[in-house]
Amino acid sequence: MNREPKLIIMIFSLIVGIFLAIQFKGNVDMYVPATLNSLQNKRIELNIVKAEMEGLKEIIRENEKKLDELKNISEEKEILEILESDIKKNMELAGITNLEGPGIIISMYDNDEIRLDDHNFDFNINDDIIHDIDILNIVNDLRIAGAEAISINNERVVSTSDIKCGGPIIRINGRSSGTPFIIKAIGDPVALNAAVNAPNTYGDTLKNVLNKGFDTYTEDLIVIPKYDIPLNNFKYAKPLEGEE
Amino acid sequence: MSDRRDFLGMVLVSIILGIILSIQFKTVNKTVGDGILPTQRAQQLASDLKKAQSTRDAQSNRIDELEKQIEYYEKTESEKNIYAERLHSDTMKYRILAGYVDLEGPGITLEISEPSSEMFDGYELIEQLDLILQVVSVLNAADAEAISINEQRYTSFTEIERAADHIEINGVSTNTPILIKAIGDPKTLEAALSIKNGVVDVIRLLGGFNVQLKQENIIKIPKSRRLQDFKFAEPLEESN
Repeated sequence: MNREPKLIIMIFSLIVGIFLAIQFKGNVDMYVPATLNSLQNKRIELNIVKAEMEGLKEIIRENEKKLDELKNISEEKEILEILESDIKKNMELAGITNLEGPGIIISMYDNDEIRLDDHNFDFNINDDIIHDIDILNIVNDLRIAGAEAISINNERVVSTSDIKCGGPIIRINGRSSGTPFIIKAIGDPVALNAAVNAPNTYGDTLKNVLNKGFDTYTEDLIVIPKYDIPLNNFKYAKPLEGEE
Repeated sequence: MSDRRDFLGMVLVSIILGIILSIQFKTVNKTVGDGILPTQRAQQLASDLKKAQSTRDAQSNRIDELEKQIEYYEKTESEKNIYAERLHSDTMKYRILAGYVDLEGPGITLEISEPSSEMFDGYELIEQLDLILQVVSVLNAADAEAISINEQRYTSFTEIERAADHIEINGVSTNTPILIKAIGDPKTLEAALSIKNGVVDVIRLLGGFNVQLKQENIIKIPKSRRLQDFKFAEPLEESN
């Protein structure tokens, strides 16, 4: 009667042992154990590369179309038409045109409350003020949500825009600007709204945890001005050979 | 009597073990797929990934080819007409600002990396991506003419997003170390980044990351490869 428990244990150990052996015996060179986590991550990476490929396919298609048009030019005015539509498109992408469309308007401002009656004596004045990092994060979140054009206090944000704290004001495109900071963005109003208001977003934290001024309004029609600093020729950057 | 109890105990343990084993099986099966071992699946995914990456690279090369041809045709055609030539050269300026031209020139490189894990007890860089945003802003304030982050051109649509255990820039997956390149006056760019209590100090001293900042004579910054379509924004007709 006493031998039975031992028998059962032995059988179990055998079974578990066999499972382990099968696991290890996969006919692959394993340098790293394949954890479920790493499989998940590899799959996410694969999907991202696949999405890239789709995007690239689009670009190839557009370029092939364009090349066809160019090869078939017979009249002088056709090249002018093509060049003119080219320049318009590139101006739009560079931020040199006024744009309009649906989107969101965000007002960020310093917290004005006087805190003398606060029990917390080491409150930091910096916690009440809007910083450049706050604006940078909101702009980034808007871009993640597909914002097509962004302006801050009517300064268009382009690839060369700076957003820097400079004492009591913030410098945008080299121009000083003060609170309140009105950020406008054109895009899908629902997505933009979620990007700055949903729980755990930076905007939500600014408003509800840090109590900084943060109001948002979605709009059907927003006008965003063009970047208006004149474009000089680039002093340091030159196109690579074969492009000029 | 105690034999009976022992026996019941064994049965209970076996049942629990059985349940645990079957749950484990189910979880693995769900992630890996029926009848495939995790290690084989990992290999499969790795080779799928390699294939996809090489197709994507081939596509990139095709785009380069096409663009060279387009440039050639546009140039030859526009040389026939002064107005066309001017349009063509103005377009180049806007294309550069929009980020669609490969560029080279003097500037700086800034590499941010996490020190080996035994010494590092701060927040990972992936949790402080806004540090990168600050670097970009400082570079722009110092008149950088073009910026790239891990070979991704920084444009007015560039987003830096955390995705699972890596970073997505311009929709492309990447990870630490982060290499930021900028074309401009090398001295000005370096000075702006390394002023006392400036962004490099913050990254190094507060963040605990390794930072390498170098002036360079030739830096190459690639063009953006993302097709940008306006789905919501439309140009506002100017009544000129």
